[in-house]
Amino acid sequence: MIGDLLTGYGMWNPLIWLVVIAVAIIFAAVIYKLGEKDYDKDTEQIKPYLSGNDEPPKEAVHIRGGNMYFGFTRALKGYYDKLVPLHSGIINDYISWFLIGTIIIFILAVIL
Amino acid sequence: MNIIITAIIATVILAVLGIIFGLFLAGIDRRITARMQARIGPPLLQPFTDVRKLFAKQNIVPANAVSWLFNLMPVIALASSIAILLYLPFGSLAPILGDAGDIILVLYLLIVPSLALVIGGFASGSPYATVGAQREMVSMIAYELPLAFAVILVAWRLMISGVVNPFSLNTLMQTSVWDVVGPLGIIGIVILLFLFAWITPGELSKVPFDSPEAETELAGGILAEYSGKNLGMFSLAQAVKTVAIIAFGIILLLPWNLSPAFGLSGISAGAVDLVFFAVKAIIIMILSVTVIKTMMARFRITQVVKLYWFVFGALGIIAMILFVADAFLMGVL
Repeated sequence: MIGDLLTGYGMWNPLIWLVVIAVAIIFAAVIYKLGEKDYDKDTEQIKPYLSGNDEPPKEAVHIRGGNMYFGFTRALKGYYDKLVPLHSGIINDYISWFLIGTIIIFILAVIL
Repeated sequence: MNIIITAIIATVILAVLGIIFGLFLAGIDRRITARMQARIGPPLLQPFTDVRKLFAKQNIVPANAVSWLFNLMPVIALASSIAILLYLPFGSLAPILGDAGDIILVLYLLIVPSLALVIGGFASGSPYATVGAQREMVSMIAYELPLAFAVILVAWRLMISGVVNPFSLNTLMQTSVWDVVGPLGIIGIVILLFLFAWITPGELSKVPFDSPEAETELAGGILAEYSGKNLGMFSLAQAVKTVAIIAFGIILLLPWNLSPAFGLSGISAGAVDLVFFAVKAIIIMILSVTVIKTMMARFRITQVVKLYWFVFGALGIIAMILFVADAFLMGVL
């Protein structure tokens, strides 16, 4: 079939998927159009809901990229605590790790 | 008929059926949850009424929101959920696009509605929604590991048994993994079934994996700023995704049909198998969503990661060892 991508194990046809997603978007958009679209733009209802509290400054509640995966990094804290210091930013360190890794793989390849 | 025309017609038909069956499943879920808590609960068709009500409500766009993204993402979430249905079989009805995608594709397509939810949450411009969106992303990473174990192990076991195209959904319809394994492999499949039962509430952000929404803590989190038809669209997307993830679990691990036992063929076989599929879907939803959410409290997001990666990851490795040992004992490895 035109557009089939074959990996040797699996396949998919992105062209057909594009047709399907386009039809699905049109279908969803038709349903969306059935709904009420108006709201009171100049009232308090457009303020973010914060359980009745005043909205803090934006910079105070901004989630930075470094915190994006908080749950993940906190759950794997022991791993990250050991891994982060290894990223010293010094190219010699990275080359050393690369060499050590290569040697270990080479030894394993010889043994196995 | 040309596959493109078939796909266009099937998209509309499956969208309507997926929404109806998904909302019906939500009604059953709410009803049984209520009965387990000694309440009467709402009517089975209450989710239909809720969505209709949401579509009649004001569709508020918060001042801080990126309005075009905020309004677009509910549409994308529903559309991407509908698209998954075309790659899945229902009973003995073969997938419409079974030759145009495989289980790895379904694995990736299942991520798209969640991504739309995440983008919508970030576009809300609300601290609650931002924290919820961040948690949803972490949840997605967490449950992918056991899900990948379930998918890859089934396909691998079929492949080494000589089954051609083991990742194809058409192949999974014809050859069940239960038919090629020995005793150890059966234990492995039971472990995968257990994993899938815990992946399903994670995929659907249901208790105990609802930390992205966390009503009591984040006031709805990722959906805090959504209202009216936007919230209604996310409800519809959730309903369709429920059908998709359950249908995916069924074809992977519980693919049997009733028609061969009764010697049926043709339309009667399709109808009987479709009803049997619906019964399996309801049972799976009750066991893996309703019962789990009724008996448990919410996990913290760090607990979600630890549970999926370490506990269910370890169970996945045990299942893998059992599959390898089984293949070795059966003489196919």
